[in-house]
Order: sequence, then structure tokens, then C-alpha cells
Amino acid sequence: MAETSSITMWVFLIYIVGVFALAGFSHKLLSKKSFLSEYFLGSRGLGTWALAFTFAATSASGGSFGGYPSLIYSYGWVLALWIGSYMIVPLCTMGVMGKRLNQVARKSGAITIPDVLRDRFDSPVLGLVASGTMVFFTISFLVAQFKLGAIIIEDTFNLQSAYAYQISLLIFAVVVVFYTSYGGFRAVVWTDVMQGIVMGAGVLVLIPIVLNKTGGLEKATKTLAQQPPMAITSVPGPDGAKGTFNDLVFHTTATPAPAGIAYLKPEQPSTPLSIQWQANDEQAFAEITMATDADGQVTTTGNDIKQAVQAHSELSSVLKIEFPYKNDKTIKVDDAEVSQGATGVIWFPKDKTEYRFSMIHGHELIFGPGRTNKGRPFHTLGMMLSFFVMWAITGMAQPSTMVRLIAFKDSRTLKRAIITVSIYFGMIYLPLIAIVMAARSVLPVLTPEDSDRAIVLIATRLVSDMSIPYQVLGAIFIAAPFAAVMSTVDSMLLLISSSAVRDVYQRTINPDVTQRRVKIISYTTTAVTGILITVIALYPPDFLQKLIVFSSAGLAASFLFPTLLGIFWKGTTRQGALAAMLGGFFTIVTLFAPTLFGNPRIDLLGLHPSLMGLIASATLGITVSKLTGPPDQTLVRKYFYK
Amino acid sequence: MPGQQQDPPAPDSDLVEDPIYLHTRREAKIILSMWLIAMIYTCTYCYLFGYSTHPSDPAATGPAVSSLVGPLESFDRQPDSITTPLGLGIPDWVFYGVALPWLVCILVSIVFCLTIFKEDDLESVQQVINTTPEGASHG
Repeated sequence: MAETSSITMWVFLIYIVGVFALAGFSHKLLSKKSFLSEYFLGSRGLGTWALAFTFAATSASGGSFGGYPSLIYSYGWVLALWIGSYMIVPLCTMGVMGKRLNQVARKSGAITIPDVLRDRFDSPVLGLVASGTMVFFTISFLVAQFKLGAIIIEDTFNLQSAYAYQISLLIFAVVVVFYTSYGGFRAVVWTDVMQGIVMGAGVLVLIPIVLNKTGGLEKATKTLAQQPPMAITSVPGPDGAKGTFNDLVFHTTATPAPAGIAYLKPEQPSTPLSIQWQANDEQAFAEITMATDADGQVTTTGNDIKQAVQAHSELSSVLKIEFPYKNDKTIKVDDAEVSQGATGVIWFPKDKTEYRFSMIHGHELIFGPGRTNKGRPFHTLGMMLSFFVMWAITGMAQPSTMVRLIAFKDSRTLKRAIITVSIYFGMIYLPLIAIVMAARSVLPVLTPEDSDRAIVLIATRLVSDMSIPYQVLGAIFIAAPFAAVMSTVDSMLLLISSSAVRDVYQRTINPDVTQRRVKIISYTTTAVTGILITVIALYPPDFLQKLIVFSSAGLAASFLFPTLLGIFWKGTTRQGALAAMLGGFFTIVTLFAPTLFGNPRIDLLGLHPSLMGLIASATLGITVSKLTGPPDQTLVRKYFYK
Repeated sequence: MPGQQQDPPAPDSDLVEDPIYLHTRREAKIILSMWLIAMIYTCTYCYLFGYSTHPSDPAATGPAVSSLVGPLESFDRQPDSITTPLGLGIPDWVFYGVALPWLVCILVSIVFCLTIFKEDDLESVQQVINTTPEGASHG
């Protein structure tokens, strides 16, 4: 990224050195305490700040500083509602199960979530199914996060080599795998605290800068409400490639204007470029038929379309065309950058004959539900309800958050952490909307593919002319997404290795394993898992990419009810818990299965699949428990009576 | 939790239910009720006052606003009707539907933690090597 300064790189390097130092301190502690409990659980000794920040940083994955600002940029204020349930997320995710889960884990001596389930129901089968489910969903998630981490490094250090991605991935992997496997859970928690502070500080610093430099939110909102409609195209290049310089932005400058822009692929070869539009029809799209060669291949480029529209007798007076960010090809002539414009060809996959892009009005960024550039509503009523359930309720059941709930020291720690995280989330998520909305006016137009650069562009562009201390703060903000990715990755990495070492090896294959051997196996497993994921992330298989979108929904649907019923309902049987886990798992896999074949997922009744997964899991858990009850009285006595 | 009246009978009538279990169950019920109230208020308010219908797009799939309710012409909003309370620049429906309840939720979370949440003693809960739960003692 051209905007990256040397200060940013120094901040990045200092940050990474800091992470290594924390891993070193943490490793020293490992030799003084019971290895497994310390390595995977920090000896159940997390204090308030550690619990609060490790919790906040782990749940705020890379998405919080990439995907979320990107969505704010694309859909506007409706994102406040999209993220709205975070107002109660800390209380729900930590308060509902925290204390009880911690108690149950202490009673059983469990150090992982599959461990808890296995002991609560005295069922090795349930423990193994839980481990398998967790690894299945977590690996696909990790591959995506490794990829994201590598892209951030590539962008920040502006690497130009043909192997830039591979080199960045290697740097990312070495850093994360080293400090996670060397330092264990405590290193992960300490870096989470550091990363949590980095993220929070980034937002707090940026608010006054953005509001001051852009004339404030009030002005931005009013201006946006009156902004004329515009359509942003997002067309892939050959074989689905991105960044092929073929996208355009159509601004409406007068009325009547088209309702949108349609690119059509003609059936006949050797067709010239042509434009049809009925000016008297408000709903009419400007239909641009592409030129084709003798073989029927489209030859029209973005530049051709721009010229044709400018030459059109009616459209030329109502549309103005510009190139979105990074979508005009530039070359160097005598050390000066010269724009060549949108030189990329408009590419159609085999079975596609048209692209349609709607004109989005400024006021659509002020009201719900927001619209995609293809014209579809973004946050419908069904999704509104689903997301309120998803963040708060399914958030409870992510193994990476639950494991933190069995690691804290005492009730007072939990209480203070809930208060801290509640305030922290309030300070981050709402202000981020204000930052992006206020800064829109100083940003270039971003296509949906590029919009996840919004926050980095804001941080770099607004502080570039300020003094060095501000630039350092801007650089810290650029490090925030990286910090968020790292804090999610390290936790997931430990989840997988703890499953393998504790649940599979120590408790199933070799219960008499020595402490020394456990140590070696733990280090090795964490490192090997990291290396394996790095290798997969070099060339991520397509199906794995598609699994990512449902990994957190799958984890929630598989783990919430077995755990919740297990700790709060005496009547839960081991068969019921197993049915709840498998029911949630298969419902999610079934509803998301069409995405593996390029089709949209199944939203029954307009609701997100995770809701259906939870309903299926709860129903099966309760019904099967009733049918197979009563549960083992020894276990009921152990976990529910004094 | 489901069917408490059908819970299995206490294994031994002289046993006392674990106080931490009872406290956490009560706290969980209160928290989930608070979540439900927050969801009903925020979603209802925002839907009624923040969602306007949009010019229909021939290529878009599904109705403009919701597949369950459909367009809400009666609640349609025009861009010039937008107000920004307290001059903060936050659209009114976001301010009253999300920002304000968010603030209330933070305060309620703090009050809940300071008054309702019990500081149960977790550190004295005995750890048990759980290889044979039948024979294991409990805390």
C-alpha cells in the first residue's frame, strides 16, 4: 500500500518484538507450574484485566477492523442495528454461563471444553465428537485468518515480489506459531491484553482526528442524505480474478437518470458495443451490450464503456463516470504516475449473461435495510432478529470464549471483567460507525472488494500530514487489524492442540503419559498444527474457503445446548447431549451445503441458519434426554448438589 | 431450564442443592430476560422508524424490506425528515433505537454486576481427577 510510512513499519516491528517478549516471560512461568493446566489454561489464574481483554480481543476477530468498517462503508447507519446486540453481548456471553461453567470445570478438573462435556456426562464418545467438531470448524476458520494476516503484512510492508503473499504468510506464521507454541495460553492472554489496548486506543485516538478533519458527523450525515444516486460495479476479471482494472463508478448528475446499469453479453459473435435506455421509464436500467469478437468473447473494457456513455446523446448529460480506488491502471512515465484508466475487460463466466448494478441513493445509507450494489436488501427483518440472537446467544458457545470462562480466578474477576468489556465494546463499536461515516467524504470510492481497506485508508490519509506522535498513533491503528487477527488465531491454535493432546492423546490413547512427554507433545502439536495450516493457506482449497462462512455458526449450534443444558438442567442425559451436538452440527451443514456448490445458503423463514441450528439442537437435546432418562444419578449428585 | 418439574428426583433427600448452581441459574434467567427486552425494543423501534421502502429494483430478488412483513409504506421515511438529536450527527432512529439503549445496557450491566451477581467462592471448589466419577468425591 503506497500510503504506508516508515513509522508504520517501525511500530509494526516493535509490536512484534513485544509479542515475542511476552511469550518469553510466559514460557518462564511454564516451568514453575503444572504443565498442562498452565499451558492450556494459565492455571485458572486469569485476573480482571486479563480476562476482560482476552475475551474482548478473541471475540473481536480480524472482522472487527476489516469486515465491519467495510460494511459500514457500503451500507451506512444500518450497521448500528447490525452490531446492536453487542450492547448486551458481554453480559450474555460471560454472565450466563461463566461462573457455572468455571465451577463445573473445577469440579471435574477439566481444562478444555470437550473435557468439560466428557466429564459432565462421563462419556468419552461425547468428548471425542466434541473435539472432532471443534477441529473441523476451527481449521477452516484458521486458514482464512492466516490468509488475512498475510495480506495485512503484504500491504503494510508494501511487498512487491512475485512471492509477496507467500513471504508474508511465512512471516505471519513464524510469529504466531512461535509465540503460541512457546508461551502457551498465558502468552496468548498477555498478547490479547496488549492487542485489546491497541485496538481500543486506535479507535479513541481516531475519533477526534476524524471529526475534526471532516467537519463533524452532523455535516457528514446531512450531506450523505442528499447525495445523488450512484452505482459501483464489481465485475471479476478472467477466471474470477480481482483487481483487474475494469470497475467503474456511475454518478447521477441530473434527472431523469437510469435506475441502474446493466452489462449484457450478446449471444452473437462480432457484436458492436451498444447502449439502450428509456429515459421516460423511472425503473429502467441503462443496458450496455458488450462488444464481442469473432469467437463470441467479450472485448469491451471499462474505458470503452466510459467513452460510450460519454458519447451517448442522453446518458452523457445525466451520468458522470469515475474510477473507484485502485481500479485505474497507472504506469510510470518519467517518474510520474500516468493513469491509463479501466483497461480491464468485462469478464463473463460461462453461464452468466448479465450483471446488474443498482443506483444507490445517499439516503439509503442513512436508513435501513441498506442495499447491495446488486440491488438486494442488506439487513432484512429476519436478519435483524437473527443477528441479535447470533452475537449474544451463539457468542456464548464459541469454544474459544468458553475456554476463557473456565480459566478465570474467582467470581469477582468475572464480575469486573463483564463491566470492563461492556464499557470497552461500547467505546469501540459505535464510535467505529461514526468514524467511517464521517470520513466517507475524504475516502475514494471503494468497490465491495476493496471496502475492507476503509479503516486503513482513514487512518493513513487523515494523519499523513500530522506530526510524528500522531503518525505513530495512526500506525498503531493500522496494526489493530493485525492484532485482532493474531489474537483470534493464537486462541484457535491452542484450542486445536489442546483437543489433540488432552482429549485425544492423554485421555483416550495413553492416560499414563509422563509430564515430560506431555510437554514435548504439546509444543510439537501446537507447532505442527500451525505449520499445517500455513501449508493449506498457501493454496487454500476452494471448499475450505466456503466452510469459513459457517464455522462460527456451526460451533455455536454444536456446542451451546450440550453445554447449557449440561450445566443447568439435571435431566440432561449423555445421549441427549450427543443428540444436541450432532443435531446442531448437521442442521448447519445441511443449510449451508448449497454454498459449497456456488448457490446461496438456505434461510428458512428468512432466518439465519444458526437460529435453525440452535432450535434443532435444543429440541433434540431435550427430547432425547426425556426419552433416555433418568440421567446417571452419580453425575447429577456430583454436579448439582453440595 | 426445560421441564424443571420433571427433573429427576434428588438422588438423596438430605442433599442440599449446590448454591452456586442455584445462583447462576437465577442470574442466567435474569440476563436472558434482559437480552430479550433489549432485542424486542431495539428491533421494533428500528424497524418502525429506521426502515424506509426503496424504489423497487426489477433485478432484486425478494421484497424491498422484509420477506416476512413486506414494504412498510405507512412508516416510509424521507431523507429530509431525518433529525439528529443533540446535534451528534447520529440519525434519530439509530440514536433512540441503538445508541441510547446501548448506554442503558452498559449501566444495567454494571448495576446487575454490583447488586444481583453473587460473588460465589469458586477457588475452594475442589478439583477432582475425573477418571472414575462414580468413586470421586465432590466439592
